[in-house]
Amino acid sequence: MEMSLKTNERVQEELEALEAILMDDISISYNERGCPELIKTTIFPSTANEVDKQYVCVTLEVKLPEEYPDCEPLVQLRNPRGLDDSTINHLYKSIKDKCAENVGQPVIFELIDLIRENLTESNLPTCQCAVCLYGFSEGDSFTKTQCFHYFHSYCLANHLSITKRHFQEEQDKLPAWQKSTKGFQATCPVCREMIECDIDELKTAHPPKELESAQKFEVTNDLRLLQERMRQLFSYQKSKGGIIDIEAEENKLLLITQSSEETASSESTEDPGPSLSNLNDPVLENGVLKKSQRCDVKMNSSDR
Amino acid sequence: MAALPRRIIKETQRLMQEPVPGISAVPDDSNARYFHVIVTGPEDSPFEGGLFKLELFLPEDYPMSAPKVRFITKIYHPNIDRLGRICLDILKDKWSPALQIRTVLLSIQALLSAPNPDDPLANDVAELWKVNESEAIRNAKEWTRRYAMDN
Ligand SMILES: [Zn+2]
Ligand SMILES: [Zn+2]
Repeated sequence: MEMSLKTNERVQEELEALEAILMDDISISYNERGCPELIKTTIFPSTANEVDKQYVCVTLEVKLPEEYPDCEPLVQLRNPRGLDDSTINHLYKSIKDKCAENVGQPVIFELIDLIRENLTESNLPTCQCAVCLYGFSEGDSFTKTQCFHYFHSYCLANHLSITKRHFQEEQDKLPAWQKSTKGFQATCPVCREMIECDIDELKTAHPPKELESAQKFEVTNDLRLLQERMRQLFSYQKSKGGIIDIEAEENKLLLITQSSEETASSESTEDPGPSLSNLNDPVLENGVLKKSQRCDVKMNSSDR
Repeated sequence: MAALPRRIIKETQRLMQEPVPGISAVPDDSNARYFHVIVTGPEDSPFEGGLFKLELFLPEDYPMSAPKVRFITKIYHPNIDRLGRICLDILKDKWSPALQIRTVLLSIQALLSAPNPDDPLANDVAELWKVNESEAIRNAKEWTRRYAMDN
């Protein structure tokens, strides 16, 4: 009993100190017996409070077992932004070492410090741009959204111009009373949060460097084997009647449409379908490419 | 002709180097925007044991527009119609350039595990799925056995 009281006091002291330093930036939840259970805080690199120079962040979650600090706490890193897997794995390892060294003493502030130091060192997004899938190189112009996602300005401009155009096209189709009064709202491609961006300014950015110097594509032996396997499966399934015959199905649909039009003209069967809005696209006809389409793009035509 | 965007090259390389379990996607010999796909029927679903062929085409403005995907192998599923078209929001208005070929195919595989008859595309299938689920599942198994096997 005396032991657990003492433990509790030590934890209480540690948490009070943390609250005094971090104030609103830390949240502590207690269980039904009033013992602290979970501590959460989002950590940013130290950039002398220049918020727009903070390119990375991560949320630290510490669970305190009853025996803490005489045992290691359970640590989780959540919502990493601008950090790739290897940076996160490296952080986990340092955290583990730090916890092991500090058994018997309060360790949470040490952890926050350790993480902040690491973030400050790698305060340049190490993740990929989700639009082009290439990284950020020195000199690339990139944009950090309010939701802490990263894009080459060039790629984000592309995304926004196209979604804006799609929005406009959809609006033009609507009758006046259904049109949106708000206008186009840009959203983040990764998390769909609303973002504020100056598309015209982004458009002036140069293409990313890694993108410019990317490798060409080569047809490997593995690829040829897989292609062969695809062909075999196709022929086998075809011989079993397992392949959809688009033409036959379309004719059937046509018949159904015609006869239902005769009986119930109000029911529209003109549904363009969800995914292949353009099923007559010759490229996809019967699962076989038309000759004219097949030769358009060559595997390694990517070099300029 | 327009050069193949590097993003497509990168996705293709990654699909080859780190394939997703139960999914293979290979570009066509003569059109690198056209992929031949096999999705394995998920375990504990009526499609278990089946190998489903799909085709996937990356339109000119991919990744700004969604890939076009359809089943080539016949499948009995409330969200897939007789033409193999798939009812999936990320292929329509929920598309985002942060999604990839692999995420699309994973979502399709997940759709096989969790058919949703309340958002149907194949109306007769969805109807049966709602009024007599066990019969619908029997049909789906039967179709899988009949059409989606390998020799
Ligand atoms: Zn990019
Ligand atoms: Zn975001």
